[in-house]
Amino acid sequence: MSTISTALRHFKEPTKEQLTEIFFSLPPLEPTGDASAKESHESSKMDINAVLSLGETEDSYAGKLHIMPPYLAFSSLDKKSVRFTIPLSTIRRVERLNARAGVYALSMSTWHGMKIIVQLTSLRPTADLFCSLLRDALKVELQRGQMKLVKNFVKTCYSEVLVSESSTSADNEREDGSLIPDEKDGTTQEVTYHGGLGLKFKFPGDPKKLREASKIKLWTTYLRTHGRNLTLLRYPQCTRLVQVGLPNRLRGEMWETLSGSIYLRYANPGYYDRLLEEHKGTTSTSTEDIEKDLHRSLPEYAGYQSPEGIDALRRVLRAYTYMNPDLGYCQAMNILAAAILIYMSEEQAFWLLEVLCGRLLPGYYAPSMHGTLLDQRVFESLVQKYLPIIHDHFQAVDVQLSVASLPWFLSLYINSMPMVFAFRIVDCFLCMGPKVLFQVGCVAILKINGEQLLQIQDDGQFLNLMRDYFASLGDSAHPHSSDPRARAITVFQELLLVSFREFSVITEDIILAERRRFRGEIIHSIESFAKRGAIRNLKTLGRFNKEQAGLVYDALYKAMCIIPPPPTVAPPPSLFTTGEGYEEKPETRIGLRTFKQFLSEIATWARDEKIVMNGFQQRIDREVAEHEFIDRLFYFWDVGCHGALSFQDLVSGLDGVMFNDLMENIEWFFNLHDKNKDGYLTKDEVLTLSESFLFIFRYEVGDAYLGAVSRFMTNAFEYGDALLPQNNKSSDATDSRPTSPAPIASNQPYLNLATFRMVVLADEVLESFFETDLSESFKLHPLPEMELPSSNSGILGDLWSTIATDSNKKMFNMFTDEIGKTIGKHQVVNKPSIGRYTKLEEPKARESLLTPTLRKSLSKMSLSSSGRTTSAPLSSSSTLSVNTTLEPPAKSLPNVPDSGSLSAMPMLQAVNAAALMERTPFAIDDAKDDEDDTDDESLDGNNNDDQVMDEVDAFLEAHDSGLTDADKAVANDLLHAEPLK
Amino acid sequence: MADSASGTADKSVQVKLVLLGEAAVGKSSVVLRFVSNEFQPNKEPTIGAAFLTQKCRLEDRILRYEIWDTAGQERFHSLAPMYYRNAQAAVVVYDVTKASSLEKAKSWVKELQRQANPNIVIALAGNKVDLVQSSASSPSAASPPESEDEADDATATPGETAGSPSEPESLRQVPREEAQAYATEAGLLFFETSAKTGEGIVDIFTEIAKKIPIEHILAATRGTSGRPGASGSRVEATRQPGVNLEEDATKGKDACNC
Ligand SMILES: Nc1nc2c(ncn2[C@@H]2O[C@H](COP(=O)(O)OP(=O)(O)O)[C@@H](O)[C@H]2O)c(=O)[nH]1
Ligand SMILES: [Mg+2]
Repeated sequence: MSTISTALRHFKEPTKEQLTEIFFSLPPLEPTGDASAKESHESSKMDINAVLSLGETEDSYAGKLHIMPPYLAFSSLDKKSVRFTIPLSTIRRVERLNARAGVYALSMSTWHGMKIIVQLTSLRPTADLFCSLLRDALKVELQRGQMKLVKNFVKTCYSEVLVSESSTSADNEREDGSLIPDEKDGTTQEVTYHGGLGLKFKFPGDPKKLREASKIKLWTTYLRTHGRNLTLLRYPQCTRLVQVGLPNRLRGEMWETLSGSIYLRYANPGYYDRLLEEHKGTTSTSTEDIEKDLHRSLPEYAGYQSPEGIDALRRVLRAYTYMNPDLGYCQAMNILAAAILIYMSEEQAFWLLEVLCGRLLPGYYAPSMHGTLLDQRVFESLVQKYLPIIHDHFQAVDVQLSVASLPWFLSLYINSMPMVFAFRIVDCFLCMGPKVLFQVGCVAILKINGEQLLQIQDDGQFLNLMRDYFASLGDSAHPHSSDPRARAITVFQELLLVSFREFSVITEDIILAERRRFRGEIIHSIESFAKRGAIRNLKTLGRFNKEQAGLVYDALYKAMCIIPPPPTVAPPPSLFTTGEGYEEKPETRIGLRTFKQFLSEIATWARDEKIVMNGFQQRIDREVAEHEFIDRLFYFWDVGCHGALSFQDLVSGLDGVMFNDLMENIEWFFNLHDKNKDGYLTKDEVLTLSESFLFIFRYEVGDAYLGAVSRFMTNAFEYGDALLPQNNKSSDATDSRPTSPAPIASNQPYLNLATFRMVVLADEVLESFFETDLSESFKLHPLPEMELPSSNSGILGDLWSTIATDSNKKMFNMFTDEIGKTIGKHQVVNKPSIGRYTKLEEPKARESLLTPTLRKSLSKMSLSSSGRTTSAPLSSSSTLSVNTTLEPPAKSLPNVPDSGSLSAMPMLQAVNAAALMERTPFAIDDAKDDEDDTDDESLDGNNNDDQVMDEVDAFLEAHDSGLTDADKAVANDLLHAEPLK
Repeated sequence: MADSASGTADKSVQVKLVLLGEAAVGKSSVVLRFVSNEFQPNKEPTIGAAFLTQKCRLEDRILRYEIWDTAGQERFHSLAPMYYRNAQAAVVVYDVTKASSLEKAKSWVKELQRQANPNIVIALAGNKVDLVQSSASSPSAASPPESEDEADDATATPGETAGSPSEPESLRQVPREEAQAYATEAGLLFFETSAKTGEGIVDIFTEIAKKIPIEHILAATRGTSGRPGASGSRVEATRQPGVNLEEDATKGKDACNC
């Protein structure tokens, strides 16, 4: 019982364009099959150099402005200081500004009146083109009616309430942001904004300690001037405010804004509810698994001790599996969903879950969990690079990092540390991307706990150490310090500071590069793990050994890659759940088309091979053969009558023919054609059988085989008629005298095995076919390692893989063929499947007394002896010497060095890291040096805001606007420029 | 880094034990019963594997079990090698009321025998026998006295016929004899257990303790600075980093060792 998946083979590295889309958190475009629509879409995209200005308070930043309808996006040159992604439908006005000569600037106003000024610094025609694209795209949005939707959509966003409220802030909420049940009169307007369970069940953590009110104030100020929800502009201050922890009330919305899931919700209004409605009452393995986990998802949170929370969680998880039936439900998704539902509505959570599982944590929850395995490998490699001492120690005591780090990544630390802290990591993760998980991970374990980690001797101690550390996150990092400000710094604060300061070297690009580097290795190990499992789980190997079964598996796998079997048809879910022993993954079975592909890998006659010579090259073009005989074999091997074959069926089927001797083969061939298994062939079946012969022998050189088949038919009908029961004669096999054949129906029993055997043995060619050639026509040889989806060999490999694509090879072949034809050197020869008899005249009957070796020497063509004795299919092509180029080369799996030397990494980074490590080997950094202004937390009172700000300042980084002073002057001018008339 | 190793006291021997089996057969419940002698719907979500420890006295020696309770979902299967590598013992659990769970158990046993530590002691546990016993029959001596009826909660397997005096055996899908015969043939310890009543639970762990080559482990611990899991036979240099789906290094480099 085994499931075989080729899903990993379909992985494609994202294109540059896709990376841009990912960077800007754009939702993937609906795959429209329409190629022209796609093309026109491509042509409406463009990016341009630009300088962004916003009011007086923010610096101007140089960067790139992208138009990717229906979005407009900007990123500063350093790719982190400033960026935004806003739907075009939120833009109400675009004006060209009247500025100094040679300056091309646009002023764009959003629906709420925020003015963004962009100076297009490319050449004039480029800027003109950009403007016209922008104009067109805006028109399209207007026509689609998107502009009208904005107002209603933003009502669902809490930020709008914040910015519109008077400075006295909301009266109807507690300090922690949860709602005070409405006891006042109608002053509280109807709540239209989305919110999570926290509104009712309270948010985790002490709001005083979290300084919620100050944070809300700071955010309100920021959102007033920098846009919010759909129109949020992310300036450095935004990132810093995120790093000190989002306020509970705003958290859900900021999560969806920062992650980009808000664009999905905006683009698909009502989808979530419809999805649930359509699938009402549908159950599946996934929904059953979900059911089991509902009560173990953050059970300590009050909301999940009530049906309200449980039901919301159930709906969101189910909706996700309805939308992604291939991914289904994976444990750990329940943790994520439960966490985000505290802060956001079901619909918001649904889309965020989609972004998390699809884009931010790619492949983490897939059936093979390849993304998880890959990132664990990447994590280990980063540890090796940045914290080699710890890495070496772990190697020495044979402890795997993953035993602890796996859940960190799978559930975003939510399961590992107290929720309040985990959510702050989630804040940073959604704002700054997956690198955060690695930065925090590296620091948490390795840096800060370095000294203790060097003491651990086994997995258990490692886990316990981590558990204790996470439990202490709220404690003071420097409890014995005499400085009260130092004492106020928590272990968690220190963790974040160290993460972002010292491990800022771990960039998005490094993560991507590392993933590329290890992807092949991971896919290979997943696949070989699956292969070993499949072979182990075979009920019987037959007479094969494991290596041979492995070769069958390889051929099957290759065939499945080329022609994917139809998705396993699971019985309708209602039936599914009643059976006592359903599996999550039903056994993989292949259909007829995939089987043909499979067989063409193994049986010489199941493929058409043309040897092509065109004066430049000799090659074999291989195609899958089509014949009723192959269909017959398919159904013959389908013993369970599934209409599809499993790996076991193939192994048993091959076992039934590859080890046969003469008599067994004759019987096998007979049975194959005896459809009703009554021990007799009908007349029709005899004809079909003859056709099968002709099919197998179709490319044999000379007419020896043709003659044999025609003699077979003559004899078969002669004996058959002679033995017909209607003749009222005792069936005497030795009586070879033909009697007058009585006309019989074509579907009547006609020829039995004994007679068939006799007829076959009467012919030397057929005899040798059944004696050896039939069994030998099935060949298990190692297939060349298929190209893995990613190249591991850096630039060169990339280059080569783009050149050596299949279609390029085809083009090259066609090209040389054409030339070959014009110079008269083009020649195509069909390669024989058996290739034993290559004479032009028929052998006499019963020449078969000759030994095979003698027979060989009789053949007229000069044959290379090696081809002859080892592999039949090559024997007739001896003069051609084709094989060398096409024979599978030795396994060529790209080898990744075990030790994982990071030679590909930029030298500079390595040096930086080395310097870091040297400076403070595991010593806990004196964070107080950088935190001079931090006030004692116990000094409560009015300076709450300042405290938050101090913490914010701790995250200050140098932000390079990428502009010279002169540039800045120009940009400043623009703030006061008038629109062009 | 000193060779304090893992043992807290000189006499205590550390044994790494992994629990495997189909989802919902009761792995976590078995562990909970063994570690804290209670039965309740488990609250701790298991991502990958849960890690628990429990001491077990055997004659004059104390064994300290490091227990890895693996996640049941099928897609976590490829992560299992990470947990059973270097394990000295495994408990493969199936559910006596679910025939397919024995098939899954057999497949785990095969995998362990081929891919895990060659000296691993494997026990097969047919759990939830309480469901197929007439209510009169009392749990075995090994079961703890308390917590028998209070555990009767909504999460218990459906179809439970409480107190019906007739034939609850009808729920049974795996005959004891069949599983016993398989276990004998495959060289496994065999128990029928109930995490709910406690029957057979402690027995698993004490029988495993008896069968573990303790002297061997101690020798290995003393000899090398490494951990006891090594059993002395591990080749550390060949270990690959990362979640290791490949076979245990001790198996060598056969092309296809399945
Ligand atoms: N009646 C009964 N129910 C059990 C027993 N062991 C576990 N269960 C129930 O079976 C379900 C699955 O148990 P769990 O320990 O989570 O299984 P796991 O997925 O293998 O860890 C839970 O509802 C348990 O209450 C047992 O011995 N008897
Ligand atoms: Mg469990």
